[in-house]
Amino acid sequence: MKRKLVALLLAATMVISLAACGDKKTGDSSSQQSSGSSSSSSSSSSSSSSSSSSSAQTEVKNDPSNGELVNGKFVKTRKITVEVYDRSGKVAADDNAWTDWIKKQMLDRYNVEVSFKTVPRWTEKDAINTLLASGDAPDICYTYEYPTIQSYANMDGIIDLNPLLEQYKSLLPNLWAWLGDENIYYDQDPKTGTVWAIEGRRNNTYRINTFIRQDWLDKLNLKTPTTMAEFETAIKAFRDNASKLLGKDAGQMVPFLLTSDVGWTAAPIIESFIDPNITDKELYVTGFDDRKYTVAGTKEAVKVLNKWYNDNLLWKSFHLHQDGDSAGDDLCKAGYVGAFIQNYDYPYRNNEDSINALLAKNVDPNAKFVAINCFQDKNGKYTHYSYSAAGDRKTFFPATNKEPLASLLYVEFISSPEVIQYLQIGEEGINHKVHDNGAIEIIPVDDAHVRYNQLGGNNIDLTITCNGLRLSTPELTHLSMALSYAGSDPQDVANAMAVAEKDAVAPIHVNVGEITAESEGSDLTGKRNAGFTQSVICPTSDFDKTWDDAMKAYMQSGGKAIQDEREAAWKENFGNKTNLN
Amino acid sequence: MKKVQSEAVVGNGQTLLSKKTGMQRFKIYMKRYWQLYAMLALPMIYLVIFKYYPMNFITIAFKDYKFNRPVFKMPWASVKGEIDLLKHFKAAMKPDFYSALRNTVTLNLLDLFFGFPAPIIFALILNELPFRKFKKFVQTVAYMPHFLSWVIIYGLVCILFQPDGPAGGVINTLLVKNGMAAIPFLDDPSHWIGTYVLVGVWQSFGWGSIIYLAAIAGINPELYEAASVDGAGRLKKMWHITLPGIKSTIVVLLIMNIGGIVGGAFDRIYAMQNPVVLSVADTLSTFVYRIGLSSSYPKFEQTTAVGLFQSVVGLFFLLGANKISRKLGERGIW
Repeated sequence: MKRKLVALLLAATMVISLAACGDKKTGDSSSQQSSGSSSSSSSSSSSSSSSSSSSAQTEVKNDPSNGELVNGKFVKTRKITVEVYDRSGKVAADDNAWTDWIKKQMLDRYNVEVSFKTVPRWTEKDAINTLLASGDAPDICYTYEYPTIQSYANMDGIIDLNPLLEQYKSLLPNLWAWLGDENIYYDQDPKTGTVWAIEGRRNNTYRINTFIRQDWLDKLNLKTPTTMAEFETAIKAFRDNASKLLGKDAGQMVPFLLTSDVGWTAAPIIESFIDPNITDKELYVTGFDDRKYTVAGTKEAVKVLNKWYNDNLLWKSFHLHQDGDSAGDDLCKAGYVGAFIQNYDYPYRNNEDSINALLAKNVDPNAKFVAINCFQDKNGKYTHYSYSAAGDRKTFFPATNKEPLASLLYVEFISSPEVIQYLQIGEEGINHKVHDNGAIEIIPVDDAHVRYNQLGGNNIDLTITCNGLRLSTPELTHLSMALSYAGSDPQDVANAMAVAEKDAVAPIHVNVGEITAESEGSDLTGKRNAGFTQSVICPTSDFDKTWDDAMKAYMQSGGKAIQDEREAAWKENFGNKTNLN
Repeated sequence: MKKVQSEAVVGNGQTLLSKKTGMQRFKIYMKRYWQLYAMLALPMIYLVIFKYYPMNFITIAFKDYKFNRPVFKMPWASVKGEIDLLKHFKAAMKPDFYSALRNTVTLNLLDLFFGFPAPIIFALILNELPFRKFKKFVQTVAYMPHFLSWVIIYGLVCILFQPDGPAGGVINTLLVKNGMAAIPFLDDPSHWIGTYVLVGVWQSFGWGSIIYLAAIAGINPELYEAASVDGAGRLKKMWHITLPGIKSTIVVLLIMNIGGIVGGAFDRIYAMQNPVVLSVADTLSTFVYRIGLSSSYPKFEQTTAVGLFQSVVGLFFLLGANKISRKLGERGIW
């Protein structure tokens, strides 16, 4: 009998838990619409019980939060979760000195309890897609790609921020001060007025640089390349002098490191082949892909890479290592790489674990990468695209967010100047020291303060509305920028900034509402990467055919549709104009 | 209770039982065998939760996916206000889908052709080994790869088969050093297929042989003795006793494999593919992953549609293979 009972009980639990699963989802769906009203009713009861004088009532009327906040704090503790990228650093991304500090501050300032949810940096899309689908997404999410957010919006996955921003604007002074209408309404749909995401801001717009081993150039008596021909001569010299430069490791020589993200790790080369007088319209229509795959000129650039590959100037296994694979970085750190292209500060990132710091430590004290400009456009200028100051990570609230106000206050908090500054430079003595002229130098964190290691350079993964060092005054920021990489020579960093700035072109921003074809094409990114890599590694005689075939497949799978729709949208909005200004 | 027992004991219980009504018979039956059913309950619950309950979500293929609603409340798929249940099937079945389908079938057929006989042959060879210890050793070594994840196996494959040059593969580095041309194991579509299939065989033949070894162990040893007396050699015994002895096992496994011809595991192909060979390496499972989960624009409806298509086609293959095997006088899977 007993056993029967147990069996029955077990069966009953299973059935109930199944039913509970179903219930949870229904609950989530209805909560979004009702959250505003239900929370306001609970708070209004609390305010009416405290006092019924007329003055208090008028105060409540003027308070955009409907009395949920008293002296800027929630009456009842609210709970929110916030996304944070996990880059497998020295500390857990969701449990360190910074997250502790944020939690405490949010509780003190707004009575909001914050918890963090990690999302792996290199597979963030998989993770967020799954979290959204299962209803477990953090209340505050961010990602770099806007069309992704648009497709979430089309599936009712996120909250329209427009009414919230309007209602609570007076509570968000820091957010407005830092981002301004430009960034906040950057992605507002011109037709429907919806705001699905708030754009972050870049405090500097440096984007990408070419780096070369200065000590190798010196050893071979070569001057710093200033043209592509000189660059090619240099990497050929690296290849031919492998035994002189690497000794017994000569077989490991990689004159120029290209990675599987060809469009990124060859961007300055590609951009130098694009017509510098390209019209805004053409760039908007053909440059929809941020690797400029379909822009005229890219093919010629890849042809050069193909020649280099077949000339043994590239790493032959590059295409077997995907995004997030550290194999390429490891080759740089081991001292086998002559030149590469990456983010403008790449060899200096990660303090004492940076490429340059490890080179100096393990290979040769003189070994280092320096930034150079050598890819000229047809006018002889080093044209390359920078970032635009407006537009960085996009912050959005999933439909499951039941605390839109508390979440907005978090964004307000994280946009406050003193919060950004504290997170970026950390504690004095642990993360930085102050020079006599006020400049702030970032120093390596010692082992006793492991929890104070930052999440990405300058805690970039926490300052979700700010990318790039931003201190109290622009002068101080400028003074400190070159010092913000512990373990690297400030002069090299300053040089990298100057190189990145030279002849840089800001991208154009065209907002004509949703381009539906952009979310309909099937895996264009994968096709683009395949097209790039195949064209690089094919025999030189097959180059044209390989490129054209891949491009044809890409255009057929949706590339053409996007171009057509963009072309039509441009016509509709700007008529026959070819340039915006 | 006592009455029932005594009835069962008295002479011909069968006739006594048959006189009772259906309900009573059921009660008696359950009283006797309920433990067996209780034991069956656990796997049944597993099937209900993880196999039958998720079937609800098949309807996603016919709906417009909404993040904030449970499946049954999502609207039916519609184009410009008109309901079109096959919308997502049409959207999914573009050239990419057909190339993925072709690749899936090709790779699975190759796997079947090379991978299916390998464990049988291995089991036969192992069975002939006279030294117990050596046999066990070989067996264990052959099982090993089965326990490695595909990501690790791919790491090994890279170390062995990468192109020459920096951080290059062992084989190609040796070839080039000795003045021979490098072999594009992973870079050239046709070479890649070979690498893919052979690595698959290497990973699974040891593990796959277990079931055949078990079946061989079940063969009556007297048959072998009788054959020896009749003068049969090793090969004759293998051909006339061992193989017929495990024939039904082979057939059942073959049917199951044929059922999976449009399916296939995700991890193996995903770990081993790279952008250069995507034209032959993109199978339905990675296609679904790319357009559904890892895409910037997740299309859950299309991936469900493709999944449903896989299941239906797989079911037809399974039933077809089963039917054929029964026609040929074998047992089939039920």
